[in-house]
Amino acid sequence: MNRTYLMRSASAAALLTLCLALPSSRAAQPTRADAEKDPVLKAMLTEMDRSMTQLQLKDFEKPFFIQYRIEDVDNFETKAEFGATEGGQHTHERIARIIVRVGDYKADSSGGRGDGSLQLSALDDDPIAIRTALWAATDQAYKAALAAYAQKQAALKQVQTPPQADDFSKEKPIVSLADPLQHQLDEAAWEDRVAHASGLYRTDPKVKDTQHDVEFSVASFSARVVTTWLVNSEGTIVRKSSGLYQEMFAVGAQAADGMRLERSRGTTGVSLKDIEPQESFENKAVEQIASLSDLRKAPMVEEEYHGPVLLSSDAGTDTLRGLLEGGVVATRPKLGTEARTNGPFASSFHARVLPEKMQVVDDPSLKTFDGKSLVGAYDIDDEGVPAQAVNLVVDGKLQNYLIGREPVRDFPQSNGHGRAGIAGPAHPSIGVLKITAIDGLSDDELSHKLIDMAKDRGLKSVYYVETMGAANTPRLLYRVGADGKRELVRGAVLDDLDERALRSGVEAAGKELYVSNSDGEVPTTVLGPALLMDDVTVKRANETNDKLPFYPAP
Amino acid sequence: MTTELNRAFSSLGKTGATDDQKLPPYFLSYSISDASFVNVRAQFGALVDSTSNHIRVADVQVRLGSPKLDNTHGTHRGSAVHTLQLPITDDREALQRSLWLATNGGYRNALDNYLRVKTEAEVRAKEEDNSPDFSQESPQNSIGKPAPLARIDMAAWQQRVSALSKVFRAYPDVYQNTVVLTVENETDYFASSEGSKIVAPHLQARLVVFAMTRADDGMDLFRARTFEAETIDGLPKQAEMESETKKLGESLEALRKAPLTEPFNGPAILSGRAAAVFFHEVLGHRLEGQRQRGEEEGQTFTKEVGKEVLPPFLSVADDPTLTKYGNTWLSGQYQYDDEGQKARRVDLIEDGVLKNFLMSRLPIASFANSNGHGRAQTGKVPTGRQGNLIVTSTNTVSDAQLRKQLIDQAREQGKTYGLFFEDISSGFAVTTRSSPQAFSVIPLVVYRVYVDGRPDELVRGVSIVGTPLAALKRILATGDKSEVFNGECGAESGTIPVSAVAPAMLLSEIETQKQSQGTARPPILPIPGSEDHSTPGASKEAK
Repeated sequence: MNRTYLMRSASAAALLTLCLALPSSRAAQPTRADAEKDPVLKAMLTEMDRSMTQLQLKDFEKPFFIQYRIEDVDNFETKAEFGATEGGQHTHERIARIIVRVGDYKADSSGGRGDGSLQLSALDDDPIAIRTALWAATDQAYKAALAAYAQKQAALKQVQTPPQADDFSKEKPIVSLADPLQHQLDEAAWEDRVAHASGLYRTDPKVKDTQHDVEFSVASFSARVVTTWLVNSEGTIVRKSSGLYQEMFAVGAQAADGMRLERSRGTTGVSLKDIEPQESFENKAVEQIASLSDLRKAPMVEEEYHGPVLLSSDAGTDTLRGLLEGGVVATRPKLGTEARTNGPFASSFHARVLPEKMQVVDDPSLKTFDGKSLVGAYDIDDEGVPAQAVNLVVDGKLQNYLIGREPVRDFPQSNGHGRAGIAGPAHPSIGVLKITAIDGLSDDELSHKLIDMAKDRGLKSVYYVETMGAANTPRLLYRVGADGKRELVRGAVLDDLDERALRSGVEAAGKELYVSNSDGEVPTTVLGPALLMDDVTVKRANETNDKLPFYPAP
Repeated sequence: MTTELNRAFSSLGKTGATDDQKLPPYFLSYSISDASFVNVRAQFGALVDSTSNHIRVADVQVRLGSPKLDNTHGTHRGSAVHTLQLPITDDREALQRSLWLATNGGYRNALDNYLRVKTEAEVRAKEEDNSPDFSQESPQNSIGKPAPLARIDMAAWQQRVSALSKVFRAYPDVYQNTVVLTVENETDYFASSEGSKIVAPHLQARLVVFAMTRADDGMDLFRARTFEAETIDGLPKQAEMESETKKLGESLEALRKAPLTEPFNGPAILSGRAAAVFFHEVLGHRLEGQRQRGEEEGQTFTKEVGKEVLPPFLSVADDPTLTKYGNTWLSGQYQYDDEGQKARRVDLIEDGVLKNFLMSRLPIASFANSNGHGRAQTGKVPTGRQGNLIVTSTNTVSDAQLRKQLIDQAREQGKTYGLFFEDISSGFAVTTRSSPQAFSVIPLVVYRVYVDGRPDELVRGVSIVGTPLAALKRILATGDKSEVFNGECGAESGTIPVSAVAPAMLLSEIETQKQSQGTARPPILPIPGSEDHSTPGASKEAK
């Protein structure tokens, strides 16, 4: 029985049903009365009001701020290995996160690591149950805030330098009610599809002859819809909803000398429509399996090389993400220091961090690029502040940071980038980070320039990275001769690809941007160009080579 | 399974440039747990979680060397088992590939550990117990019927579980409650290079009600009630479970108002249930075979075989073949243990004299063979564990007489009261050499029984202290009705279902101290739903 045929003939509609929200009426700003039609919001507002009015421990101060956030997480996952499914799991839960602050905006009880109490909340809309979970967590959070406040006041007395910014920013309250997304999944169909993809190493005629070399072959699919209700004592009421869908494939083998070789890829999007059609996904998976044979035959990289390296837009974006995403956010610095913020760009405000021709902007309102959905897009952050587009790097200089409601010196207001992982505390994070160069070159122009650099410096060969793995380890690395011929090599790791290289080692950048969607603590997107680097180190990783299997595969 | 096992067993370790490098396994086993679960949870009167799952996991056991000395010796016991998730369909190629991957990993692990074991054997001092690392047993063959997938009427049970949680709305000081229903249907597949082939089903349905309150002085108080049966239809009717849940609510309201206890040293009665928990913790764990061997272990009973360890009217057996005690289903039942050995009744203590230990395939100085008690949670190495611990007595009196004896004892000892422990929770059993030989069980409901005839008084904050050997020898008499405790037991080889059965017991002396207190205050605002003056517990859902 030809399973592939069955998959293709199954109606696409069965796999791709997604009921999208009707846009909420933007004509009139919604009010609290509108919000209270939602039983969850009504319960949250009732308990919030009660707490703000009545919650007080005798002889201690009342809270000056309370925030409730409930996340409804509907998640389906399925994984398969070696051509058979390991099953699918469907979970549905609601998690409430409660924040209570005592003190005032200038100096309050908040700690650096994100305070808040958690409770599971009712799945049906039972108001007493919802309120009870909130009540229990509010009580806990209030008592913890009182203790934290006292401790913080004591700590302040220990340092000479006072804090250089208020503890909490003042923001305009908003009311925004988006409709919750729903999804309908044919779970069995996805389990089958993923099982089929994981078995291609032995079913597809292009690669089945090398099936005994494959040590693992895994495919997975996940679909998640999160609806968030957020209310705070300043009057903000938000209901928002988003989806995240991912299909992944990974395959691995060992070279004759034991070196582990791995390839993986996937698609990530905000709706089922964004997931690659099955045929395309499987073709690319087969390409990856086939590349393992090439990698097994490829020679080891030379011991050490310093010189020009061309990073494809894929590899370039990975590199830029790694170097920038932690640095462009502003978080509260250590108490008693003169520092503005933390991280590699802590003291780089107005300083040059990239070549003059490069610009970096974070714009969460960018929902698509080049026909692809961007998972990092959002309208309102997880502190109830609308997202703003932020010009981070202008002509190479850092002019801004991404920030939430925790001010730092010279940045007293949030720019709507306070984002939280599920059930987690909000902290500043990128949304859609776009990196561009004014005079970007085409791929051909970049390749030519690379060769020119080789000739100019009298180098026999230079390097091209097509795709990167974790920790600066290329997955597909090519040695490029002065004649332009490319040879696949293995076993390398890159070095000296750091902030300094970004600042003064970028010879040229590409014109086309690669779309990198990632589901980390929060979904983020980076759009980045290819990078032609002046002086990067390529050397042997010298990892311990595991023994080959002790007995052959069946 | 057996195809891959046989292939692995014949191929592994046969390649190597010289004879020295060839290290084939002398034993290989596959233990596959094919389990389907359903979980329904409610809190504060509403559903918070409802999932079902089907998962298959393989534990591969590889042993290198010889039964006399292998890779699991001493502290390397963990190297015995390598675990991997498997496909849930019966695709032969995929299953074989996965098992190959797991076996390869297991062999690598075993080889690494075996080489270390050999080195250590040369370097360390002679061990107290130099029994072999693996016992000789005959292969077992039993192909039972696989368990069906766990399926329940989700909607009905979501409603029932939520309703049980809602019972607590009548008790406004019970500020935290959880009700969890778990149905687990598992089929265990076992194959070994010795020729064993076993298919054994195991079904269990369990409903746990847990509730907490806090006294005004900050002391946290909790109670729990569990219901177990083989399948969901065997659980009690809703009305009965709601009635039991109400009792928990009432109990907690009473407990938070009860006076604090004082330290006490005097006679006490443990209810049947409390005695069952007590015997499980204090005695049961110390009779596990592997605890009698190894430099880290306290070995309380190791040298006591043949000696009197309990009063002569008490006997203790562990019998996993028992499925019921009276009308109560027993959690600790199984047909084959997790090493493929047939479960059997073991008479641990006969008329007070220690006769036996709970044995897995790890031999000890006094016992060379398994007695079908090698148990583990999936992913862990099996060790000797309890199943259904049954305590019996030939010195039984009625409840009324036991109570009279308590009062008499108290009077004789010059005390104004004796204690009655109605319910206790298990703490943990510390059996290692490096900690003092103390045990900890948590008394939940304790009464003072006064000598002068005053009504019994509920007290809170009681914590039992003392050393186990001494406590056991002080049992004077028992009641004539046994009670069952069904639960989950956690130890080195993971969490497994167990039970313990015991009559009420009178101890001449038990030592208690005041429990250390929490310092958190009770919640400041009244619980939602109680502040409006409607009838407590009336359903006022705005649906």
